[in-house]
Amino acid sequence: MTTMQFGVMQRGVFPQGEDMRARFGELMEQARLMEKLGYDSITKGSHYSTYPMHEMMQIPYLCRVMAEAPSLRLNAGIVLLALQKPLDVAEQFATMDLMSGGRMIFGCALGYRDVEYKGFGVPRGAGRKRFEENLEAVKRLWSGEPVSMKGSHFELDGARISVPLVQKPHPPIWVGANADPAIERAARLGDCWYVNPHQRLDTLERQLVLYKRTLDEEGKPFPAEFPIRREVFCAPTHEEAIRIAGPSLKSMYEAYEEWGQDKVMPEGDNDISMRYAELAKGRFIVGSPDEVAEEMLHYHRVLGVNHIIMSVQGTGLPQSQTLETLELIAAEVFPKVRQGL
Amino acid sequence: MADMQFGLMMRGQFPAEDDMQQRFAELMEQARTANKLGYASLTNGMHYSSAPFQDFQQMPFLSRIMAEAPGMRLNFGIILLSLSKPLDIAECLATVDVLSGGKVIFGAALGYREVEFLAFGTSQKERVLRFEENLEAIKRLWTEDTVDMKGSHFELKGASCALKPIQKPHPPIWIGANADPAIERAARIGDCWYVNPHNRIDTIIRQTELYRRALDACGKPFPDEFPARREVFVAESREKAMELCKPFLKKKYAAYHEWGQDKAMPEGDDDLGLDFDDLVRDRFLIGSPDEVAEQMIDLNRQTGINHLIMSVQWPGMPQSMVLDVLHMLAEDVFPKVRQG
Repeated sequence: MTTMQFGVMQRGVFPQGEDMRARFGELMEQARLMEKLGYDSITKGSHYSTYPMHEMMQIPYLCRVMAEAPSLRLNAGIVLLALQKPLDVAEQFATMDLMSGGRMIFGCALGYRDVEYKGFGVPRGAGRKRFEENLEAVKRLWSGEPVSMKGSHFELDGARISVPLVQKPHPPIWVGANADPAIERAARLGDCWYVNPHQRLDTLERQLVLYKRTLDEEGKPFPAEFPIRREVFCAPTHEEAIRIAGPSLKSMYEAYEEWGQDKVMPEGDNDISMRYAELAKGRFIVGSPDEVAEEMLHYHRVLGVNHIIMSVQGTGLPQSQTLETLELIAAEVFPKVRQGL
Repeated sequence: MADMQFGLMMRGQFPAEDDMQQRFAELMEQARTANKLGYASLTNGMHYSSAPFQDFQQMPFLSRIMAEAPGMRLNFGIILLSLSKPLDIAECLATVDVLSGGKVIFGAALGYREVEFLAFGTSQKERVLRFEENLEAIKRLWTEDTVDMKGSHFELKGASCALKPIQKPHPPIWIGANADPAIERAARIGDCWYVNPHNRIDTIIRQTELYRRALDACGKPFPDEFPARREVFVAESREKAMELCKPFLKKKYAAYHEWGQDKAMPEGDDDLGLDFDDLVRDRFLIGSPDEVAEQMIDLNRQTGINHLIMSVQWPGMPQSMVLDVLHMLAEDVFPKVRQG
């Protein structure tokens, strides 16, 4: 593989009291800049019930931002698929694929928060089953043919999506996974494993072996596209990068810990409340453009990843800082990584 | 007339063989045109599994189209509320309200198609209960920091819609209703009854009285905004208008009839399978600019309707005809209605 795609995760999460119209305007400005600088994709995640943080919802957000960034791919990364009804998801993504001219990526994962499962009337123990049957139904619906299928919580009776997909046979299906059984599921059901932002590189190396073994068992080739999410803090100097990374990482991971994200991570790598320095190692990409490029190349060599989805706007970082980071990465990191491949 | 708002309904339904990327580009052009001509709102409906037509999904469509029509209100007209989960709808609509600068209208109705109920794991029998509890939950999520509420198919346990709508206390809630009991429900739980496109105008006049009485019974005033959807077409003369729109409009109503929409309509006005001329009479607003303006003024006088959501395109109708109608309405009809 001799290419590398660079995407940006727009978290769209802000503390109470922020002027969300102003923040929205800034996100649109970031998107226009990414379009101009040749980034490859925009990612928006999905969480419900995020009080005391504000979060913009994934589908409205991605549809609005596509108007600002007409050549970037749009990654719904991830959709909490166990919560949803497959006809709803299949239809919405068909419309989005069509409106965007075939630029959608369908990320999906199980989710882990009780407040979300309850809110959608999904018993906690039913998550895995619903995820699998929903994904099967979505894929079948995406064929564009009438589908009849009885699931545990829905029935398709000759149901059919209302517009065709632009991407054939369907948008890429990236399955997000932290824990080992989830990685096996990703190998079995997805077009690729969408590597999460939380785990250390050494854990990922071990899990990659598991992923490859499961692909072999399924008779599936290693995917042509292998994406990873990472927190990236890039500044002109190493010291400056450390400085901008500190406070935002601290608050972000406190929130994750409170939600229980660490409970779904593998044993030995599940205490995300460690001090930042220890936390950052092999987990976040922090440094000068040279250091960042070198680390990305390292990820590429060790894991084979070729689409890096970067979170560059941690909690509290001002817009000017984010725009500078986007410029710096495009100007100095992109060419170094591409030369080094 | 105090004030009349004119909205454009984009059904977004097209024949199976159409190139939908092309149709989408045309709808974007219609939105820019309507925005420029001063139309007040854009409406998109909601259906799943829309065969024999192709159709865009509402949430993505309205979220995208707002970029083309920054001056227009965005009407989710309607959401099939008994199919959805309240946390999902509350949070998505709140996001659209923020992204659009407070332009969302939340239209809601029961739905009636079996293929939709089944796919969402519910049934005709549960629809009224789910509709009412969903609406209650959404209102609470929009106005309270965190909500505890146990519904028949969801449980909110300290759940939040953390990003609140810009409109306070929340976006207007329009309740779509055809049948008499649904109109009484609209009076009870909505900000207004959203008058459907199908019922005859004499039926609507009768039902407006019913609505008024139901409002009185709840101690609620008649709403400031009283919206109605109508099929509208205008050309130089009535004959020309009928000739131009008939092939497309006729086909659309044949499909409604087939889907069973008329089963949800009140007795005595529950047949959409009528011969076209009978179907049009006293139901759709079609004619020359003077005639259409007159029909709109009459409708306002007889019912108080003051936001007209107009469908001017039916499956198969070409873009050039739609743009002509948008211009003729804005230039020759709206000023007459406003004067009248």
